[in-house]
Amino acid sequence: MLIDINAYVGNWPFQQLKYNTCEALYSRMNKFGVDLSVISNLNGIFYKNTQSSNEELFEEIRSNRKFKDRFIPYAVINPIYAGWQDDLEICIKNFGFKGVRLYPSYHDYEILDPACIELVKRVRDYGLPVVFNFRMEDPRQRSWIDTAYVKNNGIREWNLKNILPIVKAVPDAKYIILNFANATKLDAEELNLVKRTNLLFDTSGRAITNMADFIKQFGEDKFAFGTHSPILDYLTGLLRIESLYSSEADEKTKDLLRSGNAKTMLGL
Amino acid sequence: MSNFINRRKFVSSASLSAAGFLISDCVLGMHDPNSELNAADTKSVTLKYNLMNDVMKYRKIDSHVHAHLFDGGPEGNIAFADRLGIDKMFISLPAYRGEGTPQDFRSYNDLMLDCMKQYPDRLIGQFTANAIFQKESLEEIKRCVDLGMVGLKVYTQLKINDPLFYPIIEKMIDLKMIIHMHAYAQLGLGGYRMKYDIGIRPNTSIPEDFVDIAKRYPEAMFQYAHIGGGGDWEYACKSFVNYPNIYVDTSGSNNPENMIDSAMKLLGEDRLFFGSDNCYYQSVGKILASNLTENQKKKVFFDNYNEILKKSGRNVD
Repeated sequence: MLIDINAYVGNWPFQQLKYNTCEALYSRMNKFGVDLSVISNLNGIFYKNTQSSNEELFEEIRSNRKFKDRFIPYAVINPIYAGWQDDLEICIKNFGFKGVRLYPSYHDYEILDPACIELVKRVRDYGLPVVFNFRMEDPRQRSWIDTAYVKNNGIREWNLKNILPIVKAVPDAKYIILNFANATKLDAEELNLVKRTNLLFDTSGRAITNMADFIKQFGEDKFAFGTHSPILDYLTGLLRIESLYSSEADEKTKDLLRSGNAKTMLGL
Repeated sequence: MSNFINRRKFVSSASLSAAGFLISDCVLGMHDPNSELNAADTKSVTLKYNLMNDVMKYRKIDSHVHAHLFDGGPEGNIAFADRLGIDKMFISLPAYRGEGTPQDFRSYNDLMLDCMKQYPDRLIGQFTANAIFQKESLEEIKRCVDLGMVGLKVYTQLKINDPLFYPIIEKMIDLKMIIHMHAYAQLGLGGYRMKYDIGIRPNTSIPEDFVDIAKRYPEAMFQYAHIGGGGDWEYACKSFVNYPNIYVDTSGSNNPENMIDSAMKLLGEDRLFFGSDNCYYQSVGKILASNLTENQKKKVFFDNYNEILKKSGRNVD
């Protein structure tokens, strides 16, 4: 069984995307044997009122009965925008969304903004995961009107050290961290925080140059298949798992990476 | 009518996933109380796709890869070549730091020659040089070709269209070998519409430089490095549409979903080379995930670069 914990529908305003509708993603899943996909709406990154994107996603999944058993929808919430508390409740209670994606760099707040902490705590109290990204695309090829910086950060995108403060602030929440990029070196305390937290990385990120090394560093329970589709290609995240030698990961471990760890995180 | 097959078909079909499962509407949300689907209908029955079979069915020549640069010596290259079914790797170590003196580039080439001796059936070196040191570069090219290296790999000491490169390019035309140049396409690079600075070296060759030199030497062959290297690949490929002596390799850490299909559409099926630049997973994944035909994938993974090698009689069997 394969569960993709990192997929999208919607648009990226700076480049045409393929496979960015539920119908196209559904076909992609069938072609490559993916059973379930966690999806959110890219438009939520760019709309000031992110709830409009959540409504779009809800309607798109409802548009065809076959979608509801294959897609696990996640809301996009901006905690510094009016009414987000109501939006969160509607997404979870009315729409049946199963987690929340946050985009501090695009929505222009710091990761320890009190509103961000409150949102993470609320999602935690629902028993659902919150999702952060290292990045959406390589900043070297960004459009001139894309974000140019991350607040209070000399680099233009995050590494793991930039995300860990929220994990430390709300250590009993569930975290999914996507598109692993940049430096992976942590001190002992930080690594311990990652290991003891209910936290999952996906396999789509370019920093994962050798999957076996990452499993050794963080643990086999910390990774799950993810594509970052349709921004990144559909197979590289899977190749990182399937090309592991049996001496590096036995079938049981591979199954954890394909779906087992995702099931645990998603409560399936 | 549901698109899902029923349980009997599911269990009887060997081609279908053995990992069927039952997901409750309540678990996934979106519950439709009027739904008439029964449990069998809601079985997931996605086709089983064997990725590693697909990986291993294509012979591969890696046209852009380094040893002793990112991930240690040639053992690391070979480990990934074995893992992903890469037959041959064309390794190089350009003068990526410092002045790139003759002493530097000779020592880099010697390192690649050592790698070739260590894995004679798998690794072939691309020689490097620095056209600022023109006489020494021409001597070094002769030495390296005589020792079995194939093709020139150059970096950012000079732009590809700098007049100092002309004699080197003419030598490569005589040898019928390709000139593989580190490259970048970033809006703003080189003072043009400068919006931001990400530390790219000022003498880095950009698509316009390649077009300029390709027009001057239509009989030469140029390899624009790593369209997945972080730069704007659409900009680069669009620049090269009308210049058939400019080839691109698909290497680099970036694997946008539509990159390969788009490059193929713009440049045709003969001008794309498989390459990794040591980003092995992405390099294979993005080609397999593309909509290229079987024959086109075969050409990108192996045949296109081998056609270049044939011109100098150094092709792979």
